[in-house]
Amino acid sequence: MGAFLALGLFQGAVYGLLAVGIVLVYKAKRVFNFAQGEFGGVAAFTAFAIVVGAGLPYWVGVVGGLAAAVAMGLIVERVIVRPLESSSRTIMLVALVGVALFTIAIIVLLGQPIPRVMPPLIAGGGVNILGAGILPQQLILMAVLAVLAAAMAWFFKTDMGLAVLASSQDTRAAQVVGISPVAVSRLVWGMAALLGGIAGLLYAPVGIFTPGFMTLTMLVPAFAAAVLGGMTSLPGAFIGGLAIGVVQNLGIYYLGQQLKVPGAAELGVFALLMLVLLIRPQGLLGKEA
Amino acid sequence: MALLEVENLRAGYGSVPVLHGVSLSVDEGANAVLLGLNGAGKSTTLMTLAGLLPATSGEIRYDGKPLTGSPGARVRAGIVLVPEGRHVFPALTVKQNLRLGAWTIRRDARRAHRNLLEVYQIFPRLQERADQTAGTLSGGEQQMLAIGRGMMSSPRLLLIDEASLGLSPKLTEQVFAAVQLINERGVTVLMVEQNAGVLAQADTAFVMQQGRVTITGSGSETLADDVVRAAYLGV
Repeated sequence: MGAFLALGLFQGAVYGLLAVGIVLVYKAKRVFNFAQGEFGGVAAFTAFAIVVGAGLPYWVGVVGGLAAAVAMGLIVERVIVRPLESSSRTIMLVALVGVALFTIAIIVLLGQPIPRVMPPLIAGGGVNILGAGILPQQLILMAVLAVLAAAMAWFFKTDMGLAVLASSQDTRAAQVVGISPVAVSRLVWGMAALLGGIAGLLYAPVGIFTPGFMTLTMLVPAFAAAVLGGMTSLPGAFIGGLAIGVVQNLGIYYLGQQLKVPGAAELGVFALLMLVLLIRPQGLLGKEA
Repeated sequence: MALLEVENLRAGYGSVPVLHGVSLSVDEGANAVLLGLNGAGKSTTLMTLAGLLPATSGEIRYDGKPLTGSPGARVRAGIVLVPEGRHVFPALTVKQNLRLGAWTIRRDARRAHRNLLEVYQIFPRLQERADQTAGTLSGGEQQMLAIGRGMMSSPRLLLIDEASLGLSPKLTEQVFAAVQLINERGVTVLMVEQNAGVLAQADTAFVMQQGRVTITGSGSETLADDVVRAAYLGV
């Protein structure tokens, strides 16, 4: 069971990272970013091309992957989001689904639609902590998360961070004090892309990965995590991600392995989402509308 | 010397024109009021001056030069709007709201701090409420915060849009008194109002009707004007 819990926390943290990116964009722009997963996809495939394809050091792959993700975020912001700023949210949503599919198609075209194996940053077996085998990759994740949490907490105390919060609360008022909406929009999409890229780099080495792996397997649980957290709370989104990862894997353990219920992971998540939305419709850390 | 000169300004929302040639001139150091009924185009005038709406034609001169550029550039030039309906940042604290008011001078921490102390001096209530979120303030306090936030970037020209909206007569008087104090400290003020009571403290007054300035004069002259008395004071 410990192994399932550890796996759940790990997967959940990746969902959480994506969910924080989703909420960041949603808070600022009231846009559901269906391209969030592909920021991770682009980061993972770029890093793979650098590390495995070109044989360069791992850190070059990490930097290159994250740079590619942020570049994609800024391009999406400029080419898709800003021109559609005043159109309906449905059009925006469909456009972003289009971005995800287009990106997957490009990745397939550039490489091949075959599964790839990304080596982990630190190879080797697991460390035994409280009876569960913890992989080095999972320890790296913990360290990355601690740094990210501290960085985010710091950022939202700076003038820039306050400007992002202010713009999401009242765009007009932010303009009135001289904050440029374009600068905030770029910053938000860049940050969301960075978070997505980190999620992709952390998750890719866990198993084999194929084009679209982030969108197809990670995006829906990440959206569930964002909703669970209240859609407007960054810590809420992350906690929501952890909860979903854990419930998925405990579902597999209890319902799947012991009671042989099919679709146990999805069932667990569904039950959790229904339960939370029934008891707290505003989400775990969301404010009542 | 005129700090702000507006000539034949036209603007509107999309294809709906609201301003049909507004002309007015505000001297440096003036305490000016733009009076008008709902829909006369007062807010549209201020929004156009602040760069939030594009002018379709006409000219705005500020400090002798044609005024163009983004809202942010205009704040840096010293033109600050206190918008109608306050528009404070509800989930941020009073202090954070004021800090964002100093956005354009954020690299000059000394000046931002001086301005903060000045705002606290004018509105002691804001200092008492410094760590409270703006959304929990009363309407009057939010209006004080909106004006205080406008003061944080060291404006030369403060555009205040209906500060008295929704306030009790007593609070309205307090807010007007604070604006007068700000003006006495050297900030040129252009206030939009429906409340003719403000004319008593104004040295310049404009009355707007249907997208044009129809009456221009001193505050007391305008207060004595028959049209104004009939329309705003019901006498």
